[in-house]
Amino acid sequence: MLAISVMNGLVIGVIYALAALGVSLVVGIMNVVNFAHGELYILAGYFSYLFASALGMNFIAAMLIALALVFLLGIVIEVTLIRPTYGNDMYSLILTFILSIVLQNAYLLIFGPYPNKPPLWVKGAADVFGLFLYGNQRLAALIAGVAVIAVVFFIIKKTWFGRIIRATSQDREMAELNGVDTTRLNMLSFGLGCALAAAAGVILTPVFPVTPTAGVPVALTAFVVVVLGGMGSMWGCVVGGLLLGLVENLGAAFISTGYKNVFGFIILILVLLIRPSGLFGRAKV
Amino acid sequence: MAELLEVAHMDLFRGETQVLWDISLSIAPGERVAILGSNGAGKSSFLAAVTAGIPPAAGEIRFNGQSLVGKRPHEVTGLGIALVPEGRRVYKDMSVRENLEMGAFPKNARGRLKETLGHVVQLFPILGQRQDQPAGTLSGGEQQMLAIGRALMSRPRLLLVDELSLGLAPMITKSIYRTLSELGSDLTILLVEQNVEQALNFSQRACILESGRITRSGSSAGLLQDADIRRAYLGL
Repeated sequence: MLAISVMNGLVIGVIYALAALGVSLVVGIMNVVNFAHGELYILAGYFSYLFASALGMNFIAAMLIALALVFLLGIVIEVTLIRPTYGNDMYSLILTFILSIVLQNAYLLIFGPYPNKPPLWVKGAADVFGLFLYGNQRLAALIAGVAVIAVVFFIIKKTWFGRIIRATSQDREMAELNGVDTTRLNMLSFGLGCALAAAAGVILTPVFPVTPTAGVPVALTAFVVVVLGGMGSMWGCVVGGLLLGLVENLGAAFISTGYKNVFGFIILILVLLIRPSGLFGRAKV
Repeated sequence: MAELLEVAHMDLFRGETQVLWDISLSIAPGERVAILGSNGAGKSSFLAAVTAGIPPAAGEIRFNGQSLVGKRPHEVTGLGIALVPEGRRVYKDMSVRENLEMGAFPKNARGRLKETLGHVVQLFPILGQRQDQPAGTLSGGEQQMLAIGRALMSRPRLLLVDELSLGLAPMITKSIYRTLSELGSDLTILLVEQNVEQALNFSQRACILESGRITRSGSSAGLLQDADIRRAYLGL
């Protein structure tokens, strides 16, 4: 029971971390909170369901196309909805909130209220350290999630793109003076943020099927993780995501399933009481 | 010789407030020029106009014959203008090395990053010794050196330095000025300073900005001897 709950917590925690990295990236660069983050997560799930189950494509190809499409959609959203609101964060908040409702209802119209599920990547179950049997698909999701997070860390820490992202989130004006075209960077990082939501979506939907509103709790949790981990901290996203996943699952297993979503907020409140800037956040002077 | 920077009859507003009136200033390649004036005289606003931070309401700014009006900051940087901003504004969470690399982001500088880095570290050896340290852990003087090094990393033709001496000990200011004066004459330097004596000693030519207007200009040596200036700015 304990071991399985920990495993479940890790799987969902990695997904939370991925979704939170996407939110954190966009908040850090643009100071924009994308309320449609969860709907883009779901969209990637629908895309991979559509391409793999309905059109019979290879599941990896279906996932990659889903990622690319959501990335492009993110760029379109940035250019059409976010760019005109530069300088007024409230407008982008409201616009993305409207977008999330529009998307939810579009999914309802197109796919219906029923859960849809892309095919499993792998079948069967594996013996984990001789402790318990665990679904191969969940193990694969865990590995894929960790791999994507590792790629994101590599990009942010080691490449030019990552360097300008870190510089711009610290001092936007100075980065412009260093030759960064921040309008273009906004567009790319918004697209990348959406693609991270999509990555979480394609990895998790074979385990937890998609419904039109299934993105709402994921996005909410991602926001919680960003605040919990500390604004702008990548390690905060990873640690916060795992912590939340573990607490939810252990709480559900040992206290009550009904309060599953409450545990995360309890942890959030406790952490903020002790460290108002989050686990890895820098105290603002 | 053609002028490198040419500002003609520029008016500038910050929001609703006019901060500069009818500013004209030309700088030839290789010159060291200083703009002096007290706090709030409009010195930083002048630099903001040149780096395309604030568009001028009237007048013209030309760099190397090309108009800068309507350009965006990153484009101006790409043309070969680099700013050492007031307050240094190093990227505190990034390492010294990464700060310098950020300076070499413009395309024409990126390919020669290693070569330029070697040059900058030679100018400021302390930056080489501390290259893996977060920039936020450097002292004020070291951060100023880093800000200058970062600006030089873009291989600029025109270096703009805003309030170099601000918050630094006189000894450190002096040594940084000495390093700047060792830079070759293919680099043009425009200095904005409250510390009038240091700036006049460093520059060949200077102008004095008072409440948004240029009230005096001339050779730095001449201004240093001028009785009015000595009384108003040097307290002599």
